Amino acid sequence: MLTVRDIHVSYGGIRALKGVSLRVEKGEIVTIIGANGAGKSTLLNAISGFLRLGSGDILYQDKPLPKRPDRVVRAGICHVPEGRLVFANLTVEDNLRMGAYLRRDKAAIAADLEKVFGLFPRLKERQRQIAGTLSGGEQQMLAMGRALMTDGDLVLMDEPSLGLAPLLVQTVFDIILEIRALGKTILLVEQNAYKALDAADRAYVLEQGRIVKEGPAAEVKADPSVRAAYLGTESNQAG
Amino acid sequence: MIQFLQQLTNGLSIGSVYALMAVGYSLVYSIMNFSNFAHGGVIMLGAYFGFFGLTTFGLPFAAAFVLATAGTALVAIVLERIAYKPLRDRKAPFLYFIISAMGASMFLENFVIATIGPNPKPYPPIIPREPIAIGQLALGRLDLIMFLVSAGCLALLVLFIERTRLGKAIQASAYNMKASALMGINTDSVVILVFALGGFLAGVAGVFYGMKYMVYPTIGNITLKSFIAAVFGGLGSLPGAVLGSVLLGVIETLVAGYLSSQYRDLIAFVILIGVLIVRPTGIMGKTVEDKA
Repeated sequence: MLTVRDIHVSYGGIRALKGVSLRVEKGEIVTIIGANGAGKSTLLNAISGFLRLGSGDILYQDKPLPKRPDRVVRAGICHVPEGRLVFANLTVEDNLRMGAYLRRDKAAIAADLEKVFGLFPRLKERQRQIAGTLSGGEQQMLAMGRALMTDGDLVLMDEPSLGLAPLLVQTVFDIILEIRALGKTILLVEQNAYKALDAADRAYVLEQGRIVKEGPAAEVKADPSVRAAYLGTESNQAG
Repeated sequence: MIQFLQQLTNGLSIGSVYALMAVGYSLVYSIMNFSNFAHGGVIMLGAYFGFFGLTTFGLPFAAAFVLATAGTALVAIVLERIAYKPLRDRKAPFLYFIISAMGASMFLENFVIATIGPNPKPYPPIIPREPIAIGQLALGRLDLIMFLVSAGCLALLVLFIERTRLGKAIQASAYNMKASALMGINTDSVVILVFALGGFLAGVAGVFYGMKYMVYPTIGNITLKSFIAAVFGGLGSLPGAVLGSVLLGVIETLVAGYLSSQYRDLIAFVILIGVLIVRPTGIMGKTVEDKA
């Protein structure tokens, strides 16, 4: 579905990605784990068209992916950004409707809105509330719901569990599985490697702008060097 | 009492023209987070476009008005493409935008001085000077037209922003450009649209200001007033810009009417500073938290 081939990205004078290749097949959950500053967010921002590629290319459904964010959305890739970036001045419902900005079919939009409310009953309760007054966990759900409203087939998620209480972290990962069950494909960037590897089918380990390891999530999770670097002991990460 | 009402109506009229200018400022500020100091140059060109439409081309007023507003919308777009887009593409710090805006402003002013000349020119008399009497109140026809057309333009702008898809895109982009792009909004087009809208309003303001006073190359300095009004109301907030402008217009005419017109600007600046000390974000400004 998505093929990233040997991309290099620099910004602010730093070579953030130095030849990254990866693929995501339809229906998969693929995770990219790595330390802070490894280039995880840069990779997602490059796919979404926010950063210019120095070299390499990105194919989506066997066609070159457009290089402008709005066209990437149109092509069918949605992105739940780091820090959520909900429209804090709009209501929950208006935020979700902004996700459907490019869509014209009112019936389909209404059906998807119900689907999102089914996934996040909390958002339905608060649909008239101003998004800025939601808790961090609720804003994360809203950011996910808003991305789903674009009706993209591939969902990029940037650190969805960042800054959330342990109980909510589990909820977020449960929801990621439910989103896959809706027929979506997911590329997940996470610092919580333990949870991410549990949810994912396949994983890539990104270190200083390079993929240093890849494989089925269970295999990556069992790898001694990965365990040492990213997992610590299970008890202090299980949350 | 009659004198007070008289001053009040004059103040509302000039305040509504300030509002046209201030809203243009605020629109651009809300999207790009910098003060477009070249806005005054666009207003000045609007005044000249209207003037030449009426005199050199001998157009009827409505046609000259359309020419002026379409012309300034176009100038504003070209200004954005030349002076700001290269900076946006490089993600330059906002100081560079201000420097670029000042450069553009100086260019426009001196270009007009060099080509047309520095002397003020009066608009041809189109609107009859004799006022309309309502009881003891004497309303200037031009003041009335200025107020009604300005209010109409602002109402249409509000409808556009609140009710249309593109208006929603402007609102979203004002909140966060990246999040808007993730919704599939072409944020570059939103920037062009905002400059076009601001330019259009600048054209209306320029024609009215030229009609009320005269046309001259430094007419754009008047935008200092609308900038004050925009800050006073809360930069980036359109209702704030309108409220700030109308208040400024009314305060100015009241000060000029009851005290002395020499104190007019002094008082205006004192009020600005006073408001900013008490409320740094202006009367209806975005709070720092929700912009972060």
